[in-house]
Parts: sequence; C-alpha cells; structure tokens
Amino acid sequence: MIIKTENLVKEYEAGSQTVKALSGIDLSVEKGEFISIMGPSGSGKTTLMNIIGCLDTPTRGTYHLNGKSVSDLSEDELANIRNKEIGFVFQSFHLLARNSALDNVMLPLRYAGSNKSEALIRSNEALDQVGLSDRSTHTPAELSGGQQQRVAIARALVNKPSILFADEPTGNLDSKTGEDVMNIFKELNSNGQTIILITHEDSIAKQSNRIITIMDGLIKSDIKD
Amino acid sequence: MLVEESIQSAISSIKNNGVRSFLTALAIIIGTAAVIAVIGIGSSAEKALEASIDDLGPRTLSIFPSQRKRGGVSSGFNPLVIKDAEALAKNTEHNWLVAPAMSGNRQVKFRNSNMNGEINGYLPVNFEVRGFDLGHGRLFTEKENLGRKRVIVLGSKVPGELKTSAKQILNKEILIAGTSYTVIGVLSEEGSTGWQNPDDDLYVPLLTAAQRIFGTDRLGWINVGISNDTNVDYVMMTIEQILRQKHDIGPGGENDFRINDWSQFSDLRRQATGIFTALIAGIAGISLIVGGIGVMNIMLVSVTERTREIGLRKALGATQKSIMMQFIIEAVLLCILGGLLGVFIGTLLLFIFTSLNDWIFYMPISAIIGSITFSALVGLFFGIWPAKRAAKLDPAVSLRYE
Repeated sequence: MIIKTENLVKEYEAGSQTVKALSGIDLSVEKGEFISIMGPSGSGKTTLMNIIGCLDTPTRGTYHLNGKSVSDLSEDELANIRNKEIGFVFQSFHLLARNSALDNVMLPLRYAGSNKSEALIRSNEALDQVGLSDRSTHTPAELSGGQQQRVAIARALVNKPSILFADEPTGNLDSKTGEDVMNIFKELNSNGQTIILITHEDSIAKQSNRIITIMDGLIKSDIKD
Repeated sequence: MLVEESIQSAISSIKNNGVRSFLTALAIIIGTAAVIAVIGIGSSAEKALEASIDDLGPRTLSIFPSQRKRGGVSSGFNPLVIKDAEALAKNTEHNWLVAPAMSGNRQVKFRNSNMNGEINGYLPVNFEVRGFDLGHGRLFTEKENLGRKRVIVLGSKVPGELKTSAKQILNKEILIAGTSYTVIGVLSEEGSTGWQNPDDDLYVPLLTAAQRIFGTDRLGWINVGISNDTNVDYVMMTIEQILRQKHDIGPGGENDFRINDWSQFSDLRRQATGIFTALIAGIAGISLIVGGIGVMNIMLVSVTERTREIGLRKALGATQKSIMMQFIIEAVLLCILGGLLGVFIGTLLLFIFTSLNDWIFYMPISAIIGSITFSALVGLFFGIWPAKRAAKLDPAVSLRYE
C-alpha cells in the first residue's frame, strides 16, 4: 500500500466562517495503480492532491505514505518527502524559463544533495525516457508545449518517486500532443510507476485504471476497471 | 551543488533584470565609490606627507621668528638673522646641519619669457638638509656664497615655465628684478610636498640673496637637520640657549622664536587627515546603508514576482533554508557586484584626482577589501528579511499564484 488515508479533513478559515474543503476522505492506493481524480471545481480535488502530494497537511485525519505517517510532519520534513517520494507534473509545466531542459530536470537532484556527475547521468537518463535527450541544452522558450511537458515529466521522474502526480497535464496542450503525453504516462505505468492524475476530461480519465470522483469534499464514486 | 545552482540562479536573475539590478545597485556603487575615493585621497595625502617628511632628510627642526611679549604686550617682531644661523653653526655638539633660508617673489625673465618665481636664498648645505637631488649642471659652493656670486639653481619646472628646457637654459643668463644671473644647475623633480612645491622655486646663494635681491639679513627660517638617533628635546634646548643668548633674552623672558619639530607636526596632520577621512567615509558609508534599503525593496519585489518559482522549487523538495539561501545569495551578489563597480569608479576618481594634483597615487588594499566586505554585509543584512518571506511561502498557494 503506497497511500492510505483515514477520515482526511481539511478546513480553512475564511473570515469568521470555517470552510470544509475535505469532509472525511478514506483512500487507499496500491503500487502500480493509474488513478484519475475527477470532480467539478470547488469539489476539493485540488486540496486532496495538495495533501496527498505533501504540499499541505490535513486539519484532521491520518495519512500514511509508504507506511509512514506524514500528516503532522514539519515543513522541511515534508519538503524532503516531496523530493524523494513524489513527482509533480503541472498544467502550466512550471519550468524555470532561463534554465536549460537538463538544468530543469536536474533541479530535484540538487535539492536531494546528489553529486554532480551522478545527477548529470540520471538527468540525461530521464530526458532519454521522455525522448528528449537531443533537446537537453534548449531552454523552455525553444521547446514546443508538448516538449516542455515532457521535460516536466522527466523532472518529476528523475528522483525515481513512489508516486507521480499530474494536475491537468494535458490542459494546456492540443489533443494530439495531449495524447502523446498520455501515452508516456501509460508507458510509465506499464513499467510499474504509480500515477495519480487530476483531470476534468472524461476522455483522459478513461485511459486510467481507476476513476475517483470527488464531490463536496467527499468521495462520490470510486470505479476500478 | 545547490550553492552552485543558487549562484547561477542569482546571476541569471540579476542579468535578466539588468537595468533594474543596475539601478538598485546604484546607491551601493556610488556609496562604495565615495568611500573608496575618500579613503584613497586620505591615504594618498598621508603618503605625500610621509614622502615630504622623508624629503626633509632624516629629521628636521625648523626655527621661525615669532612675537615676543613683554608683560603681556606684544613688542613686535624680533627677526632671525644670518648671525643667529652662524652662532648655531658654530656649535658642534650635535653634529647638526644648520640651513638658514630667506625667500621672496621676484619677476624672472629669460629671453622673452616672464614668470613670477619664489627666490630662495640657500646655503649649499640646505640642499642636503632638504634632500634635493641635482638634475643638470651643479650646485653653488660655499665660496660662491661668500663671494655673493650671481649664480642660480632652478627647480625642475622652472625651465618649462620660461618656455625652454633644462639643457638650453644651463649656463645662460636670466634676469631677476633686472639683474642677470648665471644658471649653473637644475634640480631633478622633487614633487609637491603638499604645502610647498620645490620644483617651481629658484635658488641662489644666501649671501647673494641677502645683499643683491632682498637687501636684508633677516631670515625666513632656519632648518636644523639632525640624525634620527639624536635626542630632540636636548637639541631644542641647545637651540633655545644659543638663540636666547644671541637675542639677549633674560631669565623669565619669553622666546622670540619658535621651533617646529616636523615629525610632531606631521603626526598632528596625519591625525587630522585620519579623522577627516573617517568622517567623510562614514557619511559615504551611510549611502551604502540607504542602498541596502533599496536592495531590500527590490528583493521583496523579486520574491513576489517569483512566487510561482518558489512554489515549484518547494514542490521539488527545496527546504526553507535552501530558498532563503538562494535569495540571500542574490542580494549579496548584487551588493558585491555594486561594490566592485564602486571600487573601480572610486579608484578611477582617485587616480584622476591624484594625477591632477601631482600627488602620489596610493590605494590601500584593506580599503578595497573592507568596502567590498561591507557591501556584502549590507546585502546579507537587507537580504535576510525578503529571503525569509520567500522561505515562508506556502508551496500549495504559491504554485497557483497568478
């Protein structure tokens, strides 16, 4: 079991009111799953991703990642877990504009404290995995949207994370390049990579093995293939 | 490897916002340039002073005429005269060199060129006491002095003033107040000492000056050259004794002359220069602190602009410490670059200033290291708060910051 949450609750203070973004989520994810999380905006799917992506902590409830409780770790401990266990892919790519593709991919290894020669080898491997080894010196501005997203995927993979999170990864891409990106995810998954995808597109969600729908901070449906 | 990335990121951020970085660093640049130039001018002045002390020979006391008071009422000037100098020269106890001199401005003419020059009446020994070197020709002799010969030695810049050269004017006649003198020598360049410039002066034998030019035996001053191991207080007492006797001053009467120990004077002057330099450097240093506030301001802007980048770095595993380090490095680097540019400009200003004033160019390395270190500390101090703000940003929120 990679992810196990029990009764996850997240509340925000908005003025004098308390807003419940998550009202008690029980979720288990096995290694090698390819999951889509769906739901309308405001449903709490982003909050859920933030918490299971260790970007945020729950107000109540427990969260075990790889058997280890992470619901009440300090910010720097969470940073360390994000670095080692989690790879993020974002809708807007989030690449550093002035750095080359290779430098972008290498960034997590820098925060991991790897030595440079090892980091270079692993970053080049990761770029190779997404088919961009010939673009390693290009800056994001010199790459197409699809290529930028593939650099971002390489960056997410470079630390060999337990889970790959992708937040609307095809949202900024045309359908053809979106399809290419989805094919990369499918291939990674077939090699055993656990992937959690957040999307509002049925056609994207259908390509995964399990679709979880969130509504008003609760799991409304959880359908496995 | 992380530090390396932080430095790279800082450099590219500074480069990418070139104009903004420059304007931000401008106060640091101006501040450092001002500090460096002021300290440089102070140090160069001190060097010039030291050089001029060296020029005075090993150690020189100067005797000047002064007012005598009787019962609190000043009773006019009692001059130093040639006989006083002769009395001093007779004393052999201290092995001193007695160098009496008188001076005044006179019109100097060579062919069609005119100048107003300071004529000095010197003994041959005066050149030794002042440590002057000969460039061309020869110095006058004691015999020429006693014979009141019309011979003259020129400062190194005088031939130029008279629109000729040292070689051309040598052994020619020049006119001083209408009387002709033979140029027998030209000094080599001595350089300004800060309060006098021997290169612009002319030198004739003392007795020639007394009789033919100034028509008086009143001296301007008497320099007494002593070796460094002499007991100065004892020498001063001896001078006092001799001169009081010559001037017929009874017990309890005040001296009608004063004795300057130049090394004491230079200590005072050095102190004054030091205080003045520290004061102005301090004021200039304030602009560095004002510059620091500008750096802090622009760093806060930079943190806001790069909120998404900070969020991303945190998502990839950056700790608070590594984010802080990144922004502090950027602030410090900006200030160091400003400091370096300021040092360059300040040194250039000093170079121009010293060239224009004929001073020795001297810039202490410690001032350069010190001011760059100070700039770096300004960057560190004013970078901490923006960096802390960056480090404390919530990753989930900042990733979605628009």
